[in-house]
Amino acid sequence: MQDDSFRPSNAEIVRQVLDGKVNAFESILTRYKVQVLKIVKKHVPNDAVEETTQEAFVRTYESLPTFKGTGDFSQWLSSIAVRTCYDYWRKAYRSREIPLSALTEKHPQWLEQVISQGPEESLDELESQMETKEILNWALGKLSAENRMVLELVYLEGLSVQEAAELLGWSKANVKVRSFRARMKLEKLLRIVKEQGRKAL
Amino acid sequence: MRSRVSENECLKKAFREAYSAKETEETGDGWQSAVMKRVRRIGPLTPASNFLPAFEHFVWRLAPVSCLLVIALTLLLMNIDFGGGNDYLGTVTVDLEQPTLVEIFGLEG
Repeated sequence: MQDDSFRPSNAEIVRQVLDGKVNAFESILTRYKVQVLKIVKKHVPNDAVEETTQEAFVRTYESLPTFKGTGDFSQWLSSIAVRTCYDYWRKAYRSREIPLSALTEKHPQWLEQVISQGPEESLDELESQMETKEILNWALGKLSAENRMVLELVYLEGLSVQEAAELLGWSKANVKVRSFRARMKLEKLLRIVKEQGRKAL
Repeated sequence: MRSRVSENECLKKAFREAYSAKETEETGDGWQSAVMKRVRRIGPLTPASNFLPAFEHFVWRLAPVSCLLVIALTLLLMNIDFGGGNDYLGTVTVDLEQPTLVEIFGLEG
């Protein structure tokens, strides 16, 4: 087992990198790859995960001179990862490369089924994982990059407005407004799916 | 009042579970060597210059003085009588021209 007392601190690695030892950055990469991958996997499609993670680490390297050694390195890195994901969506929306999944008649049925479930009932009994993912991806694809990121952080991850604001580098008021608008939009989209199901019956 | 679909606890739970499940999706390892390759291409970093933070501090220290100066200048401008200034200028202009005309026409007594 590796003894942690021999591991250099983050501040020490940063200092080494800034002193010109480029290869020292590999320690940061090894130490934080799981954390950054987790963040990126949640925010971008699977086929863009590797590229976005790569971009997040390169940005981290380039931003090292601005890192104030007093702060939490892990939090700082997370915010770079989240902002890189946000930039991925901004670019994707600009070039209109949003993978839009189409819904079928099974999706409204699934939605009705979930809504009518009691909170104590287990969702595992529903063969729902796939349908949930498809509806969620469909709805997120209809949102703007800003609304999408805020909805993911606040509604899906359950972060506070303050935490989301820190990760995105936005003001709390902006996150609050965006969060409200994104939820309203999601509500509208889910109602459309519900209505489709009623019409089909 | 209509209950919100998006706030339904079961639906929220299902969405959150599906969203968290994305964490477990498999990815390759090739990106790590690509990161180091790019980092080496960028090369050693130059430490951030201390000029900007120092300048920022300087600007904030001067902010109250700047505000007072703006207020003082505004009050000063509000109290200046620009119309009167024009009259004064007219007087000066006439005063300057008079001796010249007198000289030209030789009207000096």
